Amino acid sequence: MSGFSIKTAMGVAACKAARAGLRIARSGGTTLPGRAAMFFDKDILASVSEGMDIIVVTGTNGKTTTCRMLEQALSSTGRSVLANKSGANLLRGVTAEFTANADWMGRPRKKFAVIECDEGALKQVVPLIKPKVILVTNLFRDQLDRYGEVMHTLDQIRTGIRLAPQSIICLNADCSLTSSLAFDVPNKVIYYGLDCPVGEQKDAEISDAKYCIRCGTEYKYEYHTYAHLGGFYCPKCGYRRSRPQTAVTAIRKLTAQGTDIQMEFRSPDEKDPAKEKTVTRDVFVSLPAVYNVYNAAGAVCAYTAAGFGRGDILKSLAKTSSSFGRMETFDLDGVRVQMILVKNPAGCNQALSYVTSLEEDYNAVICLNDQTADGHDISWIWDAEYEKLSSDENLKNIIVAGDRAEDMQLRLKYAGVPEDKIRLVRGWDQLTEQMRDSSYPVFVLPNYTSMLALRRTLAEATGKQEFWKG
Amino acid sequence: MDRELKICHLYPEVLNLYGDRGNIICMKSRLERRGISCRVDQMRLGQKADLASYDLFFIGGGQDFEQEVLLEDLRSGKGAEIVSAVEDGKTFLCICGGYQMMGHYYETHDGVRCEFLGAVDFATVGGDVRMIGNYAFQLGEESGGSTVVGFENHSGRTRLGSGVKPLGTVLKGYGNNGEDKTEGVRYKNVFGSYSHGPILPKNPQLCDHILETALERKYGRKIELEPLDDRFEMLAHDSVLDKIMKGEIN
Ligand SMILES: [Zn+2]
Repeated sequence: MSGFSIKTAMGVAACKAARAGLRIARSGGTTLPGRAAMFFDKDILASVSEGMDIIVVTGTNGKTTTCRMLEQALSSTGRSVLANKSGANLLRGVTAEFTANADWMGRPRKKFAVIECDEGALKQVVPLIKPKVILVTNLFRDQLDRYGEVMHTLDQIRTGIRLAPQSIICLNADCSLTSSLAFDVPNKVIYYGLDCPVGEQKDAEISDAKYCIRCGTEYKYEYHTYAHLGGFYCPKCGYRRSRPQTAVTAIRKLTAQGTDIQMEFRSPDEKDPAKEKTVTRDVFVSLPAVYNVYNAAGAVCAYTAAGFGRGDILKSLAKTSSSFGRMETFDLDGVRVQMILVKNPAGCNQALSYVTSLEEDYNAVICLNDQTADGHDISWIWDAEYEKLSSDENLKNIIVAGDRAEDMQLRLKYAGVPEDKIRLVRGWDQLTEQMRDSSYPVFVLPNYTSMLALRRTLAEATGKQEFWKG
Repeated sequence: MDRELKICHLYPEVLNLYGDRGNIICMKSRLERRGISCRVDQMRLGQKADLASYDLFFIGGGQDFEQEVLLEDLRSGKGAEIVSAVEDGKTFLCICGGYQMMGHYYETHDGVRCEFLGAVDFATVGGDVRMIGNYAFQLGEESGGSTVVGFENHSGRTRLGSGVKPLGTVLKGYGNNGEDKTEGVRYKNVFGSYSHGPILPKNPQLCDHILETALERKYGRKIELEPLDDRFEMLAHDSVLDKIMKGEIN
């Protein structure tokens, strides 16, 4: 595929022109440049990514943050990295990112890329970019009206992996759905996971994978971390959690600034392959909450699988900055506003656990939209445990906002939050004004499009950059 | 007199898609706010219990993968118990997959037939197109006559037998099959619907009607539930109904 191609060059030119036009129009749109490029050269992505060292991250939760960790680790060692920051994680968006990075002949200008890829788009993207490593973070129910079912999503990911047999696959060992991807794929597979329980898992909490994916028997657990993740095993057919090569062996301290953990790295002993060689390290992950411990472990696993030095990423994890909407903090005229994107019950429960575990008074804002990118079906809010909020004495008031604010308001009522603590606010400007007047720090839990909308308003109010400029 | 309703949540571990949990939360809360106690027991796969001791049964929706495990359990005797509870006038709220399960069968579009309970006279055939979206329907008089808003997501097309009534008439959306304007089923004290979302919190009149049906069956006389402050409920109901009827949301 090397050599000059007129088609490719025209695709590159069209993509760049479309992108420049959009920047001037300030729309932040991301599909048009990709479409323009593909119009001239359907498989342009293969040319403009040729010879690059690429890590792809997919899965339900944690894609963006994990990519951020990988990208910052690579950058910290002076490597120039391509990343699709703006959430353009479908074929067209990925194509646009790579094409914009190419020179006018369609040759990549950067050597490294960290790409977030939608689960459904994986099978279109990876055959073209031939990644060194594909990392699958986890699988939860998400955006039901787009994908139908978790099983369907899993099939789509497996199809993608089969189309990239040269890629090393990094899987979350603690997720019985994710780790089942190792069945029937030709790829080399390695695992990461938490060897230790986290907090107390209650029976009532949601499970997206209660029954063995192989034989239908109910899983048993040696320990739980959160949702359906943990030390699962099937008492009947023997399917069980694989021992991870990258393991978190202890969680020492969780705070709003981050988490102190201990990690262990395992490899076969060269002299005696039946034996295991282990290295232990203390690591600080600068993003709070347990799910970021998973993201960090996944990032270390993928980073080393791609052949980069472990030391770099362990150092870099201590100063990972948040990406937009994910634990991002704003200073709104003296009021601390922290935004935590939530898209599904599992992620939401984690965010609620985090917010209610801190020992400070606060106000909460919950934003719920039902646009296509969010999923039109908002029923997942009834599976998330907003009940955690009703028993938190630090919580002063809750504002609900977004297209489906009324539904959120009703959910909170049935979660046991007193009605007089709940206020419904229309409009992002009005919401920003209300937050500015808050006497306490504010935690905002928005879903996807409400996060984008609110973030735009907040960025204007506080002078932060909008994401499409970054 | 201390009144109590005993709710049996059937197969919560497999039939729990789409926020079904909200229906249980809603029924329990609306009973307790009226001083009526409410006990919810979960009946899982493989568990045996006397169904006759319950007043109200809830069955939710599920994933195809999990349906297999479930059919096996139904065949082991629980299915027959459910059918006799229906005939006995026990109240059932059945949603989506749980609704389909009450009919005769589900036939996939490539002709594979999955035998269901046959507790109510209807059957479902798989289609190529998924019927997805916010929708609204008008309840029949025997179910209180109010307007219900919900979210449907199914590829199965359900056709009712001649002896049973629909739960309501579709105002906007697909309903049972996208053709005959029927939605759900109403037979004896069985309420079946495709509406998850969940159905009850935003439709408090339907919730109260179902609870009154179960109380009447249990105590042998009509029991009217006192009104509650439903401002939040009606705000949620009205705002989404307005958008649905104007075609502003999918
Ligand atoms: Zn098994």
